[in-house]
Amino acid sequence: MAVKHTKKLFIKALNKKFGKDFDLAGQKVEYKRLGPEQNARKREFMEYAKKVEGKRGMTGYNPYVHAGGIPMGQRQLVPYKLSGTEYVVEGDDLHFVNNPAIQQMWDDVRRTIVVGLDMAHEVLQKRLGKEVTPETINNYLEILNHAMPGAAVVQEHMVETHPGLVDDCNVRVFTGDDALADEIDDQYLIDINKMFPAEQAEALKAAIGKTSWQAIHVPTIVVRSCDGGTTSRWSAMQLCMTFIDAYNMCAGEAAVADLAYAAKHAAVLQMSEMLPARRARGPNNPGGLSFGFLADMVQTSRVAAADPVKVSLNVVAAGAALYDQIWLGSYMSGGVGFTQYATAAYTNDILDDFCYYGVDFAVDKFGGFAKAPKTLDLAKELATEVNAYGMEQYELFPTVLEDHFGGSQRASVLAAASAITSAIASGHSQVGLAGWYLSMLLHKEGWGRLGFFGYDLQDQCGPTNVFSYQSDEGAPLELRGANYPNYAMNVGHQGEYAGISSAAHAGRMDAFACNPLIKVCFANPGMVFDWADIRACFGKGGAREFRAAGERSLVMPAV
Amino acid sequence: MAYKPQFYPGSTSVGINRRKHMSGNLEKLRDIPEADVTAIMGHRAPGADYSSTHPPLKEMGEPDCPVRQIVAPTAGAAAGDRVRYSQWTDSMYFAPSTPYWRSYWGAINCKGCDPGTLSGRQIIEARERDIEAYTKTQYDSEMTDVALCSMRGCTVHGHSLRLEENGMQFDMLARTEMGKDGNVYAVKDQVGIPLDKKVNLGKPMTEAEAKKRTTIFRADGVPMCGAVGARKYDEAVEALHHMWELRSKWGFRPE
Repeated sequence: MAVKHTKKLFIKALNKKFGKDFDLAGQKVEYKRLGPEQNARKREFMEYAKKVEGKRGMTGYNPYVHAGGIPMGQRQLVPYKLSGTEYVVEGDDLHFVNNPAIQQMWDDVRRTIVVGLDMAHEVLQKRLGKEVTPETINNYLEILNHAMPGAAVVQEHMVETHPGLVDDCNVRVFTGDDALADEIDDQYLIDINKMFPAEQAEALKAAIGKTSWQAIHVPTIVVRSCDGGTTSRWSAMQLCMTFIDAYNMCAGEAAVADLAYAAKHAAVLQMSEMLPARRARGPNNPGGLSFGFLADMVQTSRVAAADPVKVSLNVVAAGAALYDQIWLGSYMSGGVGFTQYATAAYTNDILDDFCYYGVDFAVDKFGGFAKAPKTLDLAKELATEVNAYGMEQYELFPTVLEDHFGGSQRASVLAAASAITSAIASGHSQVGLAGWYLSMLLHKEGWGRLGFFGYDLQDQCGPTNVFSYQSDEGAPLELRGANYPNYAMNVGHQGEYAGISSAAHAGRMDAFACNPLIKVCFANPGMVFDWADIRACFGKGGAREFRAAGERSLVMPAV
Repeated sequence: MAYKPQFYPGSTSVGINRRKHMSGNLEKLRDIPEADVTAIMGHRAPGADYSSTHPPLKEMGEPDCPVRQIVAPTAGAAAGDRVRYSQWTDSMYFAPSTPYWRSYWGAINCKGCDPGTLSGRQIIEARERDIEAYTKTQYDSEMTDVALCSMRGCTVHGHSLRLEENGMQFDMLARTEMGKDGNVYAVKDQVGIPLDKKVNLGKPMTEAEAKKRTTIFRADGVPMCGAVGARKYDEAVEALHHMWELRSKWGFRPE
């Protein structure tokens, strides 16, 4: 009997949202229609709007123009609990414009690039006959951490960036070679042995081998002024100048071109691919970010490996904010409402409850994570069970349904729980994806409704691409991304797909999902955003406790 | 033997009701005057001429076309009416219809219509005099309960919210209200513009009747999958499993 797994994790959040005395099972309520004044954040907005209006001499924010004079707040405007944390914030606090942590998460991706060191070292050693030793590497890294933020080397009378504006910029190296790592100054090293559990460290070092890499994070303020496509150029310029300085090269000699080619192309790992002209974005923009890469950026797997649900749901949260709120919501559609879709996946412990129910059910039946057969039948059994459980919670707890008041929210959450369960149980992302699509069909069949039109488009035909081997139709989920043909336009999916990618590997206790270089790069202790605890960091941002990088206040008059 | 559509599997009341909706074989429960339906739709004043986007087809000198010879135009198309809409919001608390079943009803039974299905709302677009007729059919039939269903061109999230204390579906724009006489009245049109006069839509269904007529599976009504620890799949689920499995396998090896 699976009844024992029903934890109802969302009840605490519902009590915080609706007040502890509300009737959990009640299907009727008095709607007090208190308007925006009932909510502290809306009151703050209105007060601030008055100041703005007086200052600039024209109208702005005014919730009373909403729906022909009937303002928002005809129902109770409730706060949101960040799942798995104690943070409770207003919904407005989770819009990326109002949340500096969500912004920083995206900034941390687009300001990052991984560049190999070995190719440059070969140029120096084989072409120029220069000696490369741990001492020269440490010297190079010292110069590089001066230059990368935008300071000058070699040339005279140059303008430079203010260190206080670019203090988040840093470069550390990592390698699978313990002997070399031992020789690198600690301040410039991402120490795999220190940052990862022993088994994960061994797996990562084996995958990386004797190669050495630079985890480069250019200043946040640079990518906020330019864009992600700038990162490889900015980094390559400082890398070349630093080589010239550190190895006493001629600034104009032809070998510099080899270093530049390595830094810009041959030894570079972008965080995301550039997009076709119809989407018109360069590399290191969200649309080209694969689900497997995002799964590896999130670091929960190295601090909570024993809890694959937590690992997966932190990836879901990162993806929901990045793909839904920022990419589809703003880059692609220009909308402001996408926050409402996305937060369903990372607030109020609802998806958590559905996932833990499913994974406990699977562990009971199959004896552990990644122990179940990797079959369609497995996806059928688990997705049907988890989807049914989730629908029942919406039915039996009306405020759960009210919390996810849009069908797209419910569809994403039910399908994500079904898929994450299937992926963790089987250790296979494609089996997880099969569970996703079955959930969508079951949901629609049960309630006679699903999400917005896009869910009809993508999710009812979706089973056909799960196992497709044709290159324009299928790929391992880890290698699909926001620009995958059938996924390119639908909110409420991409973050969850990243979570499913992560779930398969979290279930297997893998050290990484797709790329070991990404996994180690984002373990850099110099990151501004907390990549190990995504949801708590969003909560900090919402609670106004998070300090982002890239601010200009240092060089502006005080407000 | 003439083909008889099966429409939908299952022997539960939900399966039976779904078949009724799809077949169009619906019970008429009320008779809302055409003028009142027109007023609630809000596209033209009752009695006003229909706006048109082209002359009547008979005056247009249409090309010699075999499809045109086979398919008779709807009244609205023949007259050149503009295309307008009606959009419904059905509560998840046992409203008789659901977005997909309104769409299936429309697609199967209403000529020249364009149904659109979302989670909180369901729209049908058609030539104006056609959509007026289709809307009246929906209003009058067992597809609709006047407390749990309402026409909403926008602001539709009441579908998933708890009901008002009087059993009405929540509507932030308060387009309908419960009268002291126990009848439900429409007081605003689809998009929330006040009507010149209230429209009496009649009495709502009792909770028992709504549960009897509903097309939604629910744990506290007719469950689709039994209950936690005691699963029992409806025939609809078995059919769906079969379809999902074939779709998945076909995608792997399309032969």
